[in-house]
Amino acid sequence: MAAAKTRTSTFSRNLSTAAPSHGPGLKCGPNGTVFLSSGIPDLDKILGGGFPLGSLVMVMEDAEAPHHMLLLRNFMAQGLVLGQPLLYSSPARDPRGFLGTLPSPAASKDDKSRERDPDQEKGLRIAWQYKKYLGESQLDGQRDSKHEYSNEFDLRKPLERHFINGPRIDCVSIQDCPDLSTLRDRCATFLSQFPRISCAGRIAIQSFCAPQCAYSNMEWDMLSFIRYLKSMVRSSNSVAIITFPPLLSPSFCKRWQHMADTLLSVKAIQDEDKELAQLLTGYQDMVGFLNVHKVARINTQVPVILEATTFSIKLQKRRYLVLECLNQAPVDGSSGTSYGTSGGWSSSSKTGNLDF
Amino acid sequence: MAESICRALRDGALEGELAPALTIKDSVASPFALQVFSHVLSQLFSSILAGKSQSRGLVVVSFSRSPSFYLDLLKNKGTDIASSNNQIQILDCYSDPLGWKDQLAGSRNFTALSNEVLVSSTAIVFREVKHMDKLYNSIIELGKGLVGGGKIRFSIAIDSVDEMLRHAPVSSVARFLSNLRSHDQISSIFWLLHSDLHEARVTAVLEYLSSIVASLEPSHQLANGQRGDLENFSLIKHNSKKGKFHVRFKKRNGRVRVMSEEVHIELSGINFTSLPSEGAINQGLVPKVQFSLQLSEKERIDKANVVLPFEHQGNGKPIQIYDGRRSLVDGKHERPFAAVENVQTNENCGSGEIIYYRDSDDEMPDSDEDPDDDLDI
Repeated sequence: MAAAKTRTSTFSRNLSTAAPSHGPGLKCGPNGTVFLSSGIPDLDKILGGGFPLGSLVMVMEDAEAPHHMLLLRNFMAQGLVLGQPLLYSSPARDPRGFLGTLPSPAASKDDKSRERDPDQEKGLRIAWQYKKYLGESQLDGQRDSKHEYSNEFDLRKPLERHFINGPRIDCVSIQDCPDLSTLRDRCATFLSQFPRISCAGRIAIQSFCAPQCAYSNMEWDMLSFIRYLKSMVRSSNSVAIITFPPLLSPSFCKRWQHMADTLLSVKAIQDEDKELAQLLTGYQDMVGFLNVHKVARINTQVPVILEATTFSIKLQKRRYLVLECLNQAPVDGSSGTSYGTSGGWSSSSKTGNLDF
Repeated sequence: MAESICRALRDGALEGELAPALTIKDSVASPFALQVFSHVLSQLFSSILAGKSQSRGLVVVSFSRSPSFYLDLLKNKGTDIASSNNQIQILDCYSDPLGWKDQLAGSRNFTALSNEVLVSSTAIVFREVKHMDKLYNSIIELGKGLVGGGKIRFSIAIDSVDEMLRHAPVSSVARFLSNLRSHDQISSIFWLLHSDLHEARVTAVLEYLSSIVASLEPSHQLANGQRGDLENFSLIKHNSKKGKFHVRFKKRNGRVRVMSEEVHIELSGINFTSLPSEGAINQGLVPKVQFSLQLSEKERIDKANVVLPFEHQGNGKPIQIYDGRRSLVDGKHERPFAAVENVQTNENCGSGEIIYYRDSDDEMPDSDEDPDDDLDI
C-alpha cells in the first residue's frame, strides 16, 4: 500500500469531473447520453443524472395542488442561471409574470464546511490500526463542478432581474389561440436555433390542456402536437417539459402518458390526516407526493427499475425543495401492533393509488 | 364547515394571487345547493354591509331565478336593500337571456313588460348570454360601477353555471371564470352547479377552476337508486330534509383540507351541524412504505457520540486487547474509565456505549478463528 499518493491502486475511475466539453450545464451519462439538470438535485439523483437531452418529460398535475409549478420553477430557473435558452408557454394572459416568481440559487452550503480544521479527521472514522495508511482525501474538487451543472434553489429568493431579462427567453400565451399552429411555429423557431452540441435549450409548457384554452377539446390535435414536439426535441439539443391537468378522457390520458420519455406525477396531501401522520415520518413537513412512473432510456434497451417510485415533496426551512423516500414511522409499541401486523396497515381497506 | 367557507370568501384574494372560487355542487339525491348558495350569499352580503370583508360590493349574475328572488331573500334575512343600493347589483340573465323579447318588441311595437321599480334600480337586463366576452365586460362594468376603479374589490355570485353551459361551450365558460379569478378587482367568486346535468368532465373542469369545492350528498344512499320502493320511501323522506356537506379546501401550501358537516333544511333556512361520527374521509392514499434507513440530525449526533471499540486506543498508551476473560465487574469499572480518558475526538460524551459479552470462556485469546480479538472494549 503506497502512502501519501493520490491513488491507492493502479485503477482510477474517471468520474464525471471531466471538463464539460459539451458546454455549461451538461453532463455525460452512460450510453452516450448527455444530461441536463432538472433544477432539483434530489430529482437528478433519482433519475440517474438528470433529464437526457432530447427527451420529453411529462408531468401529470393534480387538480388540487400546484406542485407542478414547483417543478417548473426549478427547471426554468436552472436553465436561466446556466444561460440556456428557454421557451415558456402557459394559459395565462401574461406568461412573463411567472418569470418573476422563479427562485434564485441558494448560497452554497459547501462553503461553510470547507473551513473545517484540516487537522481533524475528514469525517472518516478509521480504525487505529490503519491510521498510518491514511491517504489524502479525494473528496474535494468535485464540488465546483457540481455548480456548473445543477444548483439548489432558494424558493424564497427571487431570481435576479438580469437573468429574467436575458435575450434568449421566449414566452407564449396559449389561452386565446384557436388552435395549436402558433405554438407549433414558436417551438419550431425556438428549436431551430440550436446547431450541433454547443448549447442546450429548455422548453416548458405549463398546463397544456387547461380548460380555458380554446383548443382543449381538440384531443387528436393536441396529441399530434405532442408527437411533433417530441420528434423535434429528439433531433435537437433540448429538453421539453409539459405539465397537464387530469382533465383528459381516459384513453387520451393513457396515450399522452405513453408519449412521454420521462413521466412524473404530483399528488396533493390531505391536511391533518391522522392516519397518514401515524404511518409516515415527517408528515408535518410534507407538501405533496411525487411519483416517478417512467424514466427516459435513450440508446439502450435496459429499463430503469427504481427502488421506490413515490417520494414526498418537502420544503426544507420553507426554502429548499427536497424529495425524500417515504419512511414508515416507528410503530408505537404500546398500541399493541407488532411487526407482523404493521405490514397489514397498508394492505387493509385502503387501496393505495400510489404506485410502488 | 360553512363558517370556514364564508370566512374564506370574506377574506378574499391576496395581491398577485387568483381570487378564491367556490363551487357549490349537488345532485338529485340531495338537492340543497340553492339553500347553501342563498346562505353563503346572505352571509357574504351582510359582511360586506358591515364592512368586515375585503370586498365592498356584490354582483349577482342570475340565470335561473328572477332578480326579485334575491332581493326578497336578502330582505327576509334582515338586510335593508333600499339603503344598500350601492353595494349590490344584479345582472339579470333570467328575463331575456337571448334577447328574444327585444326582437319581438322591435318587430311588433310590443311594449315590454314593466319591471318593478325597486328591481330596476338594482338589476340590469343582459341579453347576450352566448357571448362570454360581453358577459365578462358587463360584469366588470357593473362591479366598477359599484366600487369605483382602482384597488377596491367586489365579489361575484353566479347562480348556476349550468345555464351558462347551456349557451356556451365549456372552454369559453372556463376562460370566463379564470379571467374573472385573475382580475385585480375581484375579491371572491362563487357559483352553483348541479352535477347530474353535465358530463363528469365538465364537473371536473369546474372543480379544477375552483379553490374550494363544497358538495352535498345524501345522508343515506338509496339502495340501487330505485325510488319507487316502499323501503326506500322513508330514506327519501329522510334525505329531503337532511344531507351531508363535504368541503375540500385547496390551501396555499398545496395541502387539501377536507371537512364534513351535516345539513338540515328547515323553513327558516339551513342549519349546519357537525357530523355525529368522526368518519375518516381518508382517500386511501396510504402506500407501502419502507423502513427508515436514514438518520435524523439528533440520531446522527448520538451516533457520533458512541465511542467505537477500535477508536479509543492507539494514542500513546500501550494497546490492550480485551480477551473477555476478565470478570464482568472489572470490565464495568474499566469501561467508563477508559472512555473518559481517551475520548478526544468527540466533544460531548454522549450516552452511547457498547456492551460486549464474550460467548464463552473456553476460547483462547488470539485465536485465528475469532475475529473479535481486535475489539478492545
